[in-house]
Amino acid sequence: MASKINPRFAEELKQYGSVNFNACYNCGNCTAVCSLSTPEQSFPREMVRLSALGLEDELKQSLKPWECYYCGECTTQCPQTANPGELMMSLRRWLTAQYDWTGLSGLLYRSLSFTIAALLLVAAGVLLFARSTGFDAERLIHVGHLFEMLAIGTVFLVIFVPNLLRMWYFTIVKQKVRVPLKSYFSALPELFVNMFTQKRAKDCDEDDNFRWLEHMVLVFAYLSLLFTTVFLNWFGSEHLFVILLGYLESLLVFVITIHFVSGRIKRNKSLNKFSQPSDWLFVIWLLLMGLSAFLVRLFIDLQLLENNIWMHILHLTVLAQWALIIVPFGKWTHFLYRSFAHYFVKIKTMQEA
Amino acid sequence: MKERIGVYICHCGGNISDYVDVEKVRQAVEHETGVAMARTTVFACSDANQNDMVEDIRTHNLDGVIVASCSPKLHLTTFRNVTERGELNKYTYVHTNIREQASWAHSDDKEGATDKAIRLVKAAIAKSRYAEPLHPNLFEAEKTIAVIGAGIAGMKAAASLADKQTEVLLIEKEHRVGGHTATWGPLAMSEESGSALTERIYNDLLRRENVTIMNGTEVISSKGSIGNFTLKVRKRPLKEGDPVETAEFTVGSVVVATGFDSYQPKEGEFGFAQSDNVITLPDFRHLIDHAEGKELIYNGKKIRNIAYIYCVGSRQTNGENSYCSRFCCTSAIHASILAKKRFGKINNYHLNRGIRTYGKQELLYAESLALGDLYLQWAEETPPAVVTEGKKTTITLRDILSANRDLELEADLVVLVTGMVPRADNKVGTLFKLPKGRDRFFNEVHMKLRPVETVIDGVTIAGSCQGPKNISESVNSALSAATKSYSLISKGTLETEPIVAEVNSDLCSWCGKCAEACPFDAILQQEVGGKMVAVVNNSVCKGCGMCAPVCPPDAINLINYSSEEIMSMIDALA
Repeated sequence: MASKINPRFAEELKQYGSVNFNACYNCGNCTAVCSLSTPEQSFPREMVRLSALGLEDELKQSLKPWECYYCGECTTQCPQTANPGELMMSLRRWLTAQYDWTGLSGLLYRSLSFTIAALLLVAAGVLLFARSTGFDAERLIHVGHLFEMLAIGTVFLVIFVPNLLRMWYFTIVKQKVRVPLKSYFSALPELFVNMFTQKRAKDCDEDDNFRWLEHMVLVFAYLSLLFTTVFLNWFGSEHLFVILLGYLESLLVFVITIHFVSGRIKRNKSLNKFSQPSDWLFVIWLLLMGLSAFLVRLFIDLQLLENNIWMHILHLTVLAQWALIIVPFGKWTHFLYRSFAHYFVKIKTMQEA
Repeated sequence: MKERIGVYICHCGGNISDYVDVEKVRQAVEHETGVAMARTTVFACSDANQNDMVEDIRTHNLDGVIVASCSPKLHLTTFRNVTERGELNKYTYVHTNIREQASWAHSDDKEGATDKAIRLVKAAIAKSRYAEPLHPNLFEAEKTIAVIGAGIAGMKAAASLADKQTEVLLIEKEHRVGGHTATWGPLAMSEESGSALTERIYNDLLRRENVTIMNGTEVISSKGSIGNFTLKVRKRPLKEGDPVETAEFTVGSVVVATGFDSYQPKEGEFGFAQSDNVITLPDFRHLIDHAEGKELIYNGKKIRNIAYIYCVGSRQTNGENSYCSRFCCTSAIHASILAKKRFGKINNYHLNRGIRTYGKQELLYAESLALGDLYLQWAEETPPAVVTEGKKTTITLRDILSANRDLELEADLVVLVTGMVPRADNKVGTLFKLPKGRDRFFNEVHMKLRPVETVIDGVTIAGSCQGPKNISESVNSALSAATKSYSLISKGTLETEPIVAEVNSDLCSWCGKCAEACPFDAILQQEVGGKMVAVVNNSVCKGCGMCAPVCPPDAINLINYSSEEIMSMIDALA
């Protein structure tokens, strides 16, 4: 069956941040320099080509965009400045939108004004709620804690599980990958190793282990901060160890994200030259999360919070925007999709073997 | 009879001396009758040896010179000139080839090669004994130059010749000038329209007093040769009933710039002539150059998706056009950009076999990519299939650039990017006996070194009659051909080689066999001393010798290859 070409797809992809990939004249330099390319698997020109032709079904079934960690070699070597690296990035955004059954991801990626409206709406909700409590600090902290637990559970069940199932359907079922159930278990280490260590990223960019290291520290700091606040109730805890742990984690989160934000401002690498609103939102909100959590606990310890309740409302607002917008529909999802992509790739190779 | 002949035997580095014992050759010939001196030399053609030869001619008082070295194609002229510098008649020089004919041909048999070289040199000595001093033929040349074809190449050639203060006849078969170029709108890389460009050149020609423009005029016969061509022309009637006028002109040289025809696809070739949606590139140019309004309408239908199929009628492995037509990639991309910029919402699909927008034209390719045009590439073995059902045309092809995926697209219009083919009307070529290459276009003498001359002296070729060219290339070759044509006759007198055939009128009784054998039309029937005999036109004869052996009474002698010379050579070889 011949696949039908759709030149309008390039227009759509532009809304997800693709830059100038039409300029590609198929020389293949990008494939030659890409550390992922093998004689059997071509990166990233195949994706550039499929995007130019608008073969959406094939793109949707591909895991390749997730295997790329954006070392930027292809973009540096491209004689046509067609930015293949940035195309892979926009394909990840596009795929995120395809996996999301609610369609909100796509809307948020494509429309900045929709994103701002959503952020404002959540902020207004937090303020209204705070007013309804009469700006009572203790109650706010208590409800904030409950909200966190509830949000994690809901987002996981209502958004992530169905979306991951969709991803599985597109990339495994549609691709007619048939493997015994036990392969799903034996491939599990691939999922967790990649989820927590980004092992593949280290292989991609051999010269720059620092970036990989700081990204990994950030992941651990963020996840353990989440654990500390939700399950160890950091803001309410009296254990010195828990309190210090929370300080350390939130400090790491905002220090590392400050470094990431400054990199995006300086545009010192291929991967941060073309920041989209979704990229800014992700790093800045992560920074604000770390910073505001750190300050809230500091205000508690200095006994300033009672008189500076706005500090906590600010933190709560950032937290709500993070948990309701950025985590389920924004860039946060790459944490899941990337690791699941590696997991699925592993499963596919099991079938081939 | 020469009595003081100098013989030089060349090592040619080792090309000769590795297989031929050159010293043995020297010893074998140094005591031959008439040989005054015999030497070996590492490179006979080197400046040092040439100077030694000039010196030898003086000090040894030589009256003949022989060099045994490479092919005369390479160095005959070199050593003739050396002989001349030694103040001997250059036609007394005899060249013999012991490289291609001895060392290279017999590298497996050194003794045999040496023996053959000795015989060849002895034969040369035999010839040299009888070699007569000769002088080039001189005759007066007409300084008017004819340019045939008033397309962009012909017009530019005429303008360039006019600058040289010579009379120019610009002869055009059509009633209008400008050729293909005059029918085109905006041109690639310049934006000036083809019609404006040709009009500008035409107006320039009209202002020049030494240019006679004869449009609607055909050349119907040509007689004579370089320096004195007599062209008969016929004015084509504009409408029926107009008188047919003929006239004769004498010109010194001719620039042929008769242009090309566009390839006409065969019925069914990519759906051509079977579907209304399939047209050629010239048709498409015409369509967009003359379209009005903001939509592109063809056959009453709005055009959104245009597929261009490249290399139609070009680069055929098994067809008769194996060449690349050079201009078509650029022209198609340029037209597609024009269409996209002028009419909204056009999608261009370029179904190519490798884009060849060489040189600066690459910028157009880049622009087209930036505009989001799609490029798909097919291999000759798997050409795109064009299927029209009702009003809908669908193309399927196997795309090399997407790992041989089978792709499908819908097109409102399919443009066959057709190349250039030689003119179907070859009257001018036939008149001048212009040779054609394997591509069936007129052939130059040497692609690199004599790119606008033909083997017919006095006839140069300009523009796309020689092979596919874009406008810049056509004009380049036109200016070159004009200058060459002018330089041939600029002195007013012409020199030709004295090595020609001569007829002994006493023996000849005109049977016509020699005229039939002559590939250059150099033999004419003439009355001499009350009877019809064959006469050789010295300015046309190339001295090829085809006529001599066919003459029943042996009345024809080839100067420099007299029976005496040839027989004595054969004796020496035996």
